Amino acid sequence: MQIRIDNSSDRPVYQQIIDQIKRDIALGRLNKDEKLPTVRQMARQIAINPNTIAKAYRQLEQEGIITTKPGTGAFVANLDSNLSRAVRKRLISEELERIAVEAFHMQLDRQTLLELFSNAIEKFNFL
Amino acid sequence: MFTLIKREIEDHIAYFIGAIILSAVLTALLTSAIYYDDPGERPVFVVLSIPVIVVLIIGFASMGVSQMYTDKNRKISAFLSALPVTRGRILTARIITGILAILIVIVPLIITGIFLRRLFAPPIPIFSGLIFDISAPAFLMAFACYCLGLQTGWTSSRITPTLGGLVLTCILVPLILVKGFGTHIKVILILFIVASLIRTWQKFKSTAL
Amino acid sequence: MNESVVEIENLVKYFDGRYVLDGINLKVPRGCIYGLLGRNASGKTTTIRILLGHEPATRGRTFLLGAESTSLSAKVHSRIGYVAEGHNLIQNYKVGRVVKLCKDLSSRWNNKFFKHLIETFRLPMDRRVRELSIGMRAQLNLSLAMAIDPELLILDDPTLGMDTVVRRQFLELAIDVIQQQGRTILFCSHILSDVERIADRIGILTAGKLVVDCPLEELKERIKKLRVIFSQSAPENLHLTEIINQQVQGREMVITVANWNRQKQTILETFKPSSCTEIPMSLEDIFIECTRPSLIPLPAEKEEL
Repeated sequence: MQIRIDNSSDRPVYQQIIDQIKRDIALGRLNKDEKLPTVRQMARQIAINPNTIAKAYRQLEQEGIITTKPGTGAFVANLDSNLSRAVRKRLISEELERIAVEAFHMQLDRQTLLELFSNAIEKFNFL
Repeated sequence: MFTLIKREIEDHIAYFIGAIILSAVLTALLTSAIYYDDPGERPVFVVLSIPVIVVLIIGFASMGVSQMYTDKNRKISAFLSALPVTRGRILTARIITGILAILIVIVPLIITGIFLRRLFAPPIPIFSGLIFDISAPAFLMAFACYCLGLQTGWTSSRITPTLGGLVLTCILVPLILVKGFGTHIKVILILFIVASLIRTWQKFKSTAL
Repeated sequence: MNESVVEIENLVKYFDGRYVLDGINLKVPRGCIYGLLGRNASGKTTTIRILLGHEPATRGRTFLLGAESTSLSAKVHSRIGYVAEGHNLIQNYKVGRVVKLCKDLSSRWNNKFFKHLIETFRLPMDRRVRELSIGMRAQLNLSLAMAIDPELLILDDPTLGMDTVVRRQFLELAIDVIQQQGRTILFCSHILSDVERIADRIGILTAGKLVVDCPLEELKERIKKLRVIFSQSAPENLHLTEIINQQVQGREMVITVANWNRQKQTILETFKPSSCTEIPMSLEDIFIECTRPSLIPLPAEKEEL
């Protein structure tokens, strides 16, 4: 698993780690029940404060994306989310609205936007 | 503490070598003065002793200056204070080193003096008290010059300290020749030393490194 | 028991006709990695020197490991590792002699660890300090500071002069130190990417004041840069607090605000802007915003006719 930290990004480092792990899972690079590097290992590997990595892991666990077993490490969880379907739908529609607003200001037309969205979905393993 | 003293000695080994040489020269001078005691030659030895005193004064003063000046120049205290060493210890080690150098010059002379006295007793007008009466003020004088050197070495950054040494010479030498080695000399010197050391300590402790 | 390892209370330093430090308050708790940022001559080095008792403060008090800076005992010193800007070493000594001096004067010396560092950095023992490159002097300083197993590491621009590879080695070393529980690090650096990698908390010093002091991860959320366009000319006073920077050009206003929240959002909306977009900021952008002399307008761009 290769995590790259972008220092010119506006997202905090722990958020970038979370984003990239989520992305890897969605792209199929990380499978269910696969073991993630320990906090210490990753800290050494990418030269990042272990507290930052621990925070990322904690949040991923809270969101139900990974599980940690004391003594053994962190594993990619069952991809069944803890959140109810209604909540999940709400969160995604909020994100989609944000994208729609941006696209509006960038003066993209509806057709182009839908095309872009289809292309994006293609990349990932949607059921 | 021992490490600090060792460091000071290593850094200023030239002065210690000089002190040993001076000690040897003075011992030889003293021995020949007593051994070949010839009333006609006595004035020669008195005259010879003046440059010797001047060398001693300037030597010890410059040692004090050198120790402080190299510290400032090479940022030795700045480096040492990053370690678990207080400024008090640094200065104490420095002063002890100075005292050691002075003792290297004086102690052999004292020993020679006692030895010669044993050898040449009665005919020679050297009584036991004289050795102490000469060596104590001599030590104090050397130490005073050294302290002056320490003080000026830390506060100024140019070669004005040598001037200070010369001034002290001009004050002390006539004082000795006129008044001789008495208690008043010792008292004056002790007061000067204490004042000088206190001032040096204050400055050393408060300067930004 | 989360006592502060470093405490600075109302620190003021007046020097050379100006206030280098103008009322600094700072607490670094145990186990925290604190990155102190600021431009050159912003007072970072002065703060550290005052903390270590190398310089007196004009007003205010500072404490290290609970002891007041003006009277740090040798015992407290032995628990602190310090790497100075400019890499304070005795220039004409040989490396081996400097090492021996440190070893003899330190109460705690981890020789095994030190040897490991010397080998990693490939430092020569028989060369004089002044013959080493800046990078090697940095490595030597760092090794000496780490070899005493310090509870608190104070690093002033520790990677100055290091090449990329050595800088990375230093970062990995810092992380090793962090992994050992209870160690605290206070460091100043110009290399923001390094700071972003290893700091827990960030402080930004500008014009003698600590304008930012918060956890690093919150920094990007707390400071917002917005481009606001108004239907008519931009209002003079937005009545917003904690404005770090503000530039107005006709109907457009670019404003940087600290501690952005709903309240401020609501206040802004009362001015009925026609649009309000957020401009993303990296750590470097935030740093530049916070250290730019305030309210100096950017040169106006030429309008296309």
